[in-house]
Amino acid sequence: MDYKLRKAEPKDVSDILRLVKELAKYEEMESQVTLTEKDLLEDGFGETPFYHCIIAETPEENSSEDPKVVGFAMYYFTYDPWVGKQLYLEEFYVMDKCRGLGIGSGILRHLSDLAMKTRCTGMMFVVAENNKPSVQFYKRRGAEDLSQEEGWRLFRFDKDSLVKMATPAEE
Amino acid sequence: MNFRVRAATKEDCKDISRMIMELAVYEKMPDQVEISHKELERDGFCQNPFFQCLVAEVPEEQKSKEGFTVVGYALYFYTYSTWRGRSVYLEDLYVMPEFRGNGIGKGLLCKVAEVGKKEECVRLQLSVLDWNTPSRDFYAAKGAQDLTVSEGWHFIRFDGQNLDNLANEAPKD
Repeated sequence: MDYKLRKAEPKDVSDILRLVKELAKYEEMESQVTLTEKDLLEDGFGETPFYHCIIAETPEENSSEDPKVVGFAMYYFTYDPWVGKQLYLEEFYVMDKCRGLGIGSGILRHLSDLAMKTRCTGMMFVVAENNKPSVQFYKRRGAEDLSQEEGWRLFRFDKDSLVKMATPAEE
Repeated sequence: MNFRVRAATKEDCKDISRMIMELAVYEKMPDQVEISHKELERDGFCQNPFFQCLVAEVPEEQKSKEGFTVVGYALYFYTYSTWRGRSVYLEDLYVMPEFRGNGIGKGLLCKVAEVGKKEECVRLQLSVLDWNTPSRDFYAAKGAQDLTVSEGWHFIRFDGQNLDNLANEAPKD
């Protein structure tokens, strides 16, 4: 299948949200998506973007129609005080019917290339341990499972805990 | 003990670099530290900084045995959740052993939370080593959930030769 990878543009936010919801549905957590197109627009295409996005699109059979967005990867830059810049892959999804055609591999290679070009020393992300297909996909390509190898655990404070802590401490 | 939490300046990078190494020693991985204060100065104080940093400072009269007044730091950056939007990731939180038990760690953590709240962030995330019980307890006491335990999330990384190999296979533009 012919496909093209490109940087996301503001007009892509409705497709991005559609794919985000599809992936959430696959992970059985669709109701947890509270983000809107407006949030994606402000946060990705404002003065200081919080994320960057690559889109995968395939041409429609009728060439006068717009190509269809069939996959995306959302990433941002993070910082490891030991080795410097890292590329953090937040979300990575290809529509069910378009899998097995090299689009996922293509996106991952494109991001790795981007990581090298922007002086990142690593590319990081999280995977749920029971997502065996994804774990295998990454391990085949040389990824290390840091939770298993070094014992790192991911912790989160949700909004309520965050607000509680944010109440200014006594000076 | 008197202490102040403030935003780091470029001049603080030597102290921050010193404490990064101290934290790496505590985490039993000192040989993994490859960057110095020079990279911190370049990457934290450019036009689009790759991280933000707070430092904890004590007055001259309470300086450390070696004479340091910058005794703790919190290094963080903004991330994004496709489900919830803007988030803060706390990459490093450290207080020199001699100054612990005085609320400095809590002061740094709460200040990061305050900054996050101002920027409309909906969550704060971090990672802790499984054997680091004091830190796991510190965060759990303030309401953090261990997502590796409750949801099975594992941290994955491509670096060095593996990243290079992957990149070399990228299609040419």
